[in-house]
Amino acid sequence: MVVAAQHPNITLLTYAEVEEVSGYIGNFEVKIKQKARYVDMKKCTGCGLCETKCPTKVASEYDLGLGKRPCIYKPFPQAVPNKPIIDAVNCKKLVEGKCGVCAKVCPTGAVNFEDKDEYITEKVGAIVMATGFDLFDYSKTYGEYGYGELPDVISGLHFERLANASGPTGGKIKRPSDHKIPETVVFIKCVGSRDDVKGKTYCSKACCMYTAKHAMQVLEKIPNSQAYVFYMDVRTPGKMYDEFYNRALNQGAQYLRGRVSKIFQQGDKLIVRGEDTIIGQQIEVAADMVVLATAMIPTHGSDKIAQVVGFSTDKDGWFTEAHPKLRPVETNTGGVYLSGSCQGPKDVPDTVAQASAAAIKVVALLSKDQMATNPRISVVDEAKCHGCLVCKGVCPYKAIDGKVVSERAHGHTIERTVASVNTGLCQGCGACTVACRSGALNLKGFTDEQILAEVDAACL
Amino acid sequence: MKRIGVFLCHCGTNIAAVVDIPKVAEEIRKLPNVVLVAENKYCCSEPGQVDIVKAIKENNLDRVVVSSCSPRMHEGTFQNAIAQAGLNPYMMEMANIREHCSWVHAKEPEKATAKAIDLVKKAVFKVAKVQPLFEDYIPVTKKALVIGGGIAGIQTAIDIADCGFPVILVEKESTIGGRMAQLDKTFPTLDCSA
Repeated sequence: MVVAAQHPNITLLTYAEVEEVSGYIGNFEVKIKQKARYVDMKKCTGCGLCETKCPTKVASEYDLGLGKRPCIYKPFPQAVPNKPIIDAVNCKKLVEGKCGVCAKVCPTGAVNFEDKDEYITEKVGAIVMATGFDLFDYSKTYGEYGYGELPDVISGLHFERLANASGPTGGKIKRPSDHKIPETVVFIKCVGSRDDVKGKTYCSKACCMYTAKHAMQVLEKIPNSQAYVFYMDVRTPGKMYDEFYNRALNQGAQYLRGRVSKIFQQGDKLIVRGEDTIIGQQIEVAADMVVLATAMIPTHGSDKIAQVVGFSTDKDGWFTEAHPKLRPVETNTGGVYLSGSCQGPKDVPDTVAQASAAAIKVVALLSKDQMATNPRISVVDEAKCHGCLVCKGVCPYKAIDGKVVSERAHGHTIERTVASVNTGLCQGCGACTVACRSGALNLKGFTDEQILAEVDAACL
Repeated sequence: MKRIGVFLCHCGTNIAAVVDIPKVAEEIRKLPNVVLVAENKYCCSEPGQVDIVKAIKENNLDRVVVSSCSPRMHEGTFQNAIAQAGLNPYMMEMANIREHCSWVHAKEPEKATAKAIDLVKKAVFKVAKVQPLFEDYIPVTKKALVIGGGIAGIQTAIDIADCGFPVILVEKESTIGGRMAQLDKTFPTLDCSA
């Protein structure tokens, strides 16, 4: 993280979002919104005094609600850049005009309640999508796990925050309801993954491994503890992965093959009722805490950014690669590449590998002074074009626009609109050629004449 | 008069074990403008490509059909080959008689052969109508944008930046790190993630 922030070639824009993208491979223009931070980045030294004095505390998003944070805050101690922002929704000064303690205590006068969103326009040659994943919300569909109503039924990411030294419990695993140290912890895998009825059809790939890690952490950190793992399959392909899983088994993690049918509160215990399909019996575990390995889903809002940048997503919303085997980090839109789990569920080693792969594709493009475009693109016969621009609406690459041409007719100069294809944007998909009512559009290399010749071949 | 050369690839046994290639050759020879029909065990191999280049020169071919696999696989390969022989790379058509034929009709060799003939015939008719195409050149802005500052975005940005190109790393939250920074230790080495 710090390497990225200090790299002379990297400009870091945090608390910023890409709003608009125009142009094409090698020549994009992007509009980026720098959201108001209310803290002057140049003046702020990151001393953190404001954070300790802010009187308003709200649930920390970073800790998934397990802890609290002030309204002027850094999400976690090692944040990069290590300077706070003000949460404009909850800050008393910004909402009610009262308070302003942070501004009073700030030794450098960095707090600026007048700060506004700013827009930056940049020209770039390539765009890499690295928008990551969110977790499947099991509470809406999995009634058997308590619909999110049982406080000690948590997700794997909650568990990470509990185990993390900079988390809300300082790295001590304590259950959320009464902060007791849980001695019996049940893990349930494939919550939302591999479930075509309630969740997603795919395997989220990382859960088998992180659940093994969680089980080990429970056994290592909590004396006399027990870890039970309900699983459908254990999938651990990868270098040193199966060995890792075996380590969890050797440390005493109890793996039970079967699904959990119900979790309910009984006193201060959570009764986990399920089936062990290997012995063919119903089993019940009285647990102190239950951890669900919930499925990975595309980041909330990733469909919108895919539209803004202009490329396609699959049925589950993951970004679609140009070819699953041969072009895994490219999209079908020239100059747009995929890095990490925005393309599909991935663990850290896979993410890092794919991130480097995306980088080399970008470097290959940026190393060129100019690049050749595919000549098999649409071409407009302006004499035939009526200017209805139906083609513009069907073009998925925003490659067609109207242009005005002037021509002589009946002794007068008239001006009319015709379609015009941007040769950099057009990917040669041919959608416009079939939409064109006057037959004015043709795809070079797949012209009407050439396709009719193929029809002739089939008929003759 | 157009001079079309047709190269029928066996793809080892991938195609030839199902499709009766000599029979396809016999039928294709009858088509107008076809001056050469040649078979090759692996058209995409180096000797296979050399054979195509030689045949174009010796027979004065002005357009080519390669009947083999999917163009997604080897179109570039054969475009390069015919360009070496002095033809415009777009004076070529591919007939996909592997994915679209021998692989999917492996249990019906006779029907597969009939379909292969149709597919090659189609390519021959189309290639008679193709015209040379020329690439356009566009400039490249030597700067990259990375959207998302988690482990993926950070790694990509650092790698591009290390190669000497400027990178803008945009993150919607107030800090980079993403999900990775929320994690405790990461498998399989159990080192810290921040």
